[in-house]
Amino acid sequence: MTLRSEQHGKSMPRWMLADEDYVPATDKDSFVNRSILGLMEVLSLVRSQSSRAADRFSASAPVKVLGTLLLVVLTAMTRSEIFLITVITYLLLQLSVMRAGEISSVLKLSFGAAAFTAILLLPAVFLIEGYSPVRICAKLFATVMAVNLLSRTTRWDHIAGALKYVRIPDLFIFVLDSTIKYILLLGEFSLEQLQALKLRSVGKNRSKYTALSGVAGTLFLRSVEMAEEMHSAMECRGFTGEYRVIQTVRFGTADILHLTIHIGLLVFFIFLSRG
Amino acid sequence: MIELKDISYSYEGEMALRDINLTIDRGEAIVLLGANGSGKSTLLKLLNGIISPDKGTYQWNGQEITAKMLQKPAFAKQFHQKIGFVFQNSDTQLFCATVYDEIAFGPRQMGMDEPQVKERVEDCLALLGLGGFEERQPYHLSGGEKRKIAIACVLALNPEVLVLDEPMNGLDPRTVRFLSELLVRLNDAGKTLITSTHRLELVREISSRAVLFQENHSIAADRHTSEILGDIELLKQTNLVDEYYHAP
Repeated sequence: MTLRSEQHGKSMPRWMLADEDYVPATDKDSFVNRSILGLMEVLSLVRSQSSRAADRFSASAPVKVLGTLLLVVLTAMTRSEIFLITVITYLLLQLSVMRAGEISSVLKLSFGAAAFTAILLLPAVFLIEGYSPVRICAKLFATVMAVNLLSRTTRWDHIAGALKYVRIPDLFIFVLDSTIKYILLLGEFSLEQLQALKLRSVGKNRSKYTALSGVAGTLFLRSVEMAEEMHSAMECRGFTGEYRVIQTVRFGTADILHLTIHIGLLVFFIFLSRG
Repeated sequence: MIELKDISYSYEGEMALRDINLTIDRGEAIVLLGANGSGKSTLLKLLNGIISPDKGTYQWNGQEITAKMLQKPAFAKQFHQKIGFVFQNSDTQLFCATVYDEIAFGPRQMGMDEPQVKERVEDCLALLGLGGFEERQPYHLSGGEKRKIAIACVLALNPEVLVLDEPMNGLDPRTVRFLSELLVRLNDAGKTLITSTHRLELVREISSRAVLFQENHSIAADRHTSEILGDIELLKQTNLVDEYYHAP
């Protein structure tokens, strides 16, 4: 049943009254489809991060952040293969209790980073006699894996809050917090933009990149607008540039275990360095 | 024209649509009513092929719409021309440098020559009361003007079905009146209208049938608009009428 308009007699364009007899011309728009899929993956990752109920390794975020930082520093400083093997073994043990998908994703990233470094170091292998890139690649493998483990087992806002314990300025933590939030907000906005572009791309688009640059331009304008609104809102709420991070830290068995392992690794590092 | 059978959909484990059964005939004007987060927008996205159901079937003119079908560019493009979607946030829909280019985006892709494109742009602008806006930048227009341009962009494709997600949200009374009258005229002209809203005062005017969503993401009622609006208990249950707020 159709509605009856008070302005029923008012004319509508003739083409609008007829059915469109349209057969689309072939065109490639895989770029938009790929971008939509890529964005959806990122948004899903951020959403699953922020909705994570409890850390699976149950140690508190500050302990894990401090532990990871210590591991990264020790791995960078060490000259001992034994220490490197110990660290990698410890990290692989941690990784082994994660889900299969996460294990494969962490390993892919870590091996990818190591392989990329190996390619960069390849000229040195030929130019410097007896030079082996294995140690640097192993260090990179361990570092990327440690950071990935931290990011996949701890909520990002908890990580940002935990940075307070390593004397990172509050303002930096605030920027980090806001960045995570805006990745999600602007990500959702640009996802809708790309979906709208896809829905309106009903034929052959001769200027795909013009449309995409328009999407990027609108996103930029939107981000400026949101930043200005946030600035005004913060001012209205009495923000003076000081951002306080208050986090209640529980200290349980898992924290003690985590700390013991990391102190053990530190002692082992010092022992090997002296030897 | 549109037939949904036992459709369910969830976002990362959270149910957004539950066992939806819905048939929409050509030329109908229906509204989807429901509280925030009840699944209206998700259903509109599904109707437009932006998402595909986890369970159930979606048929369009007797043909099943699946994720696989929508991966075929020729089919997807033809389908998107037939069913136009006006997003809730008009900003996401506008990306061209001028209003003229924005409305001409679709017709140009459909292979029309420039005089035809110009005719469509001018007709759409006249229909939306935006004559003289051709060279304006879409991003710098007011909320109501942006919404009108977004509708004009979709109308320029001459779709059979017009899907609108909360089209009256955040608009001033005069623009709301203008748009609701436009929707009635479009329906008179043969367009099928599917509109989501929770503005009950407009529902009677822009629809003849209402589909009411409940907070568990399923359909609570699918009846004539007047019947649904008359059932205050049902509207209360579905969180569309508040005892205190809507007290006489």
